Amino acid sequence: MSKLRPTSYLTEQIWHGNQVLVAVLGICSALGVTNRLSVAITMGLSVTFVTGFSSLFVSWLRNVTPDSVRMIAQLAIISVFVIIIDQFLKAYYFSISKTLSVFVGLIITNCIVMGRTEGMAKNVEPLPAFLDGIGAGAGYMLVICFVGFIREIFGFGQLLGYQVIPLSWYATPESPNLYENFALMVNPPVGFFLIGGLIWMYNIIGRK
Amino acid sequence: MSEQLLKKPKQAPSNSTVIKFMIILSLICAVVLSALASALKDPQEIAKELDRSKQMMIAAKIFTHAGYFLIENGKGEYVPAKNVGNGTLALGTVSNRASNNDILEVYKRRFAPFLVDSKGEKTTFEKAGIDINYYIAEYRKSGYYKQPLKLIYEILPNSTKDSNETQPIGYVIPVNGFGLWDAIYGYLAIEPDGETVIGISWYDQKETPGLGANIAEEPWQNLFPGKKIFQPSAVGEIYPASAPIGITVVKGRVSEVLGDIPKAKSAVDGMPGATLTGNGVTDAYRNVLEGYRPFFIKIHQKTEN
Repeated sequence: MSKLRPTSYLTEQIWHGNQVLVAVLGICSALGVTNRLSVAITMGLSVTFVTGFSSLFVSWLRNVTPDSVRMIAQLAIISVFVIIIDQFLKAYYFSISKTLSVFVGLIITNCIVMGRTEGMAKNVEPLPAFLDGIGAGAGYMLVICFVGFIREIFGFGQLLGYQVIPLSWYATPESPNLYENFALMVNPPVGFFLIGGLIWMYNIIGRK
Repeated sequence: MSEQLLKKPKQAPSNSTVIKFMIILSLICAVVLSALASALKDPQEIAKELDRSKQMMIAAKIFTHAGYFLIENGKGEYVPAKNVGNGTLALGTVSNRASNNDILEVYKRRFAPFLVDSKGEKTTFEKAGIDINYYIAEYRKSGYYKQPLKLIYEILPNSTKDSNETQPIGYVIPVNGFGLWDAIYGYLAIEPDGETVIGISWYDQKETPGLGANIAEEPWQNLFPGKKIFQPSAVGEIYPASAPIGITVVKGRVSEVLGDIPKAKSAVDGMPGATLTGNGVTDAYRNVLEGYRPFFIKIHQKTEN
């Protein structure tokens, strides 16, 4: 592990060690925030920012952090970045911050962030730690954006809020046999099925 | 690897080092966060203000959750519209997304705040000698309906000519109350007859996402238009002076709980799994609207004559 090139820390996290697909972490928010693609993108970027920078700072402080309080120190650093994101969204992306509501605050408890700071950042140099954090966030973002993409297309017929399935395809009282939005897609449980399906596909690809 | 470990045996740091480390770390975090909070205070206030304007327009059926304007096409239907300058709306399509500037222009043109006293008489902020910005900011939390002079907004018509025609096409009442977890704040828009609901919205709530938080979602809010705030008597008559006021959120579906009786006209379906939020909403409407009853009676009589 210690002889890896710094960039491989990044790529390792995105595919081979994807936190959602392999470690099955961060599932809670992956269900909660993926019914719209725009929300999933915002959440993915936020988590990437938080994992990246908290890993960086945890790694910087790793030699001075007393072992007995390392978890609390990590949490303090993580919370700072989460609050930064939360305040920033409230100021400039108010409607998205309303949709995300508690999920931004809950990034603090997102297992991915703590898993990366505890499992990687406290043991390696700042640069690899930073790249590892960014990679973990990007891997998470990749998965939730895919789920968000599927859910928004089938649940709302839209993509990023714009209609992609032509309105003329929709069933009306006059022609009831046409297309209808898949209402299940809007509900959180469908995130389970989609992520489960993704893990299945991932394992099939990985086996070859 | 093992040699390194032998050279540098890891010693547990003393308690005072640990405490010092935590104090310094907390201080740095605190300084960073307070600096950020004060730097972002203004943009956050502006964003909130904009959102309140949006929500008021949603209640008044001038704006949608999807981000485009609405106008009435003369047949009682609301169709997509766009801002054609200075806040005037004209026919448009659902893809005419409103910019922040559009929202502010339309809001400025279509809404006029004024006050009503406990006898239902209208008065303006100038006449009452009240600073409007102070009043609105100061009493938002406690509720305007508790004040001797209560806040209400007129919805002005979307006429293209700049005449002095100020016959309002509705009124918006700021509503607040308590949900399951925290205070809830919203708007209720009512037609000039003083009894029929145009629409509602909730702009600030901390209810359970997916359950009670549905009060802020479009599908549930769409249950309100056409409801009566005065509960009709058993034979369907409305007596504004004595009828129970408010809109009841029932547990379950109105059609199953109340059936077709006249009372069903001032009740809406509850949200599954959010009975307490529903009760909070019911209480909020009852308490707030009671304060405005004299005003509703007044405008109700005007339309009947």
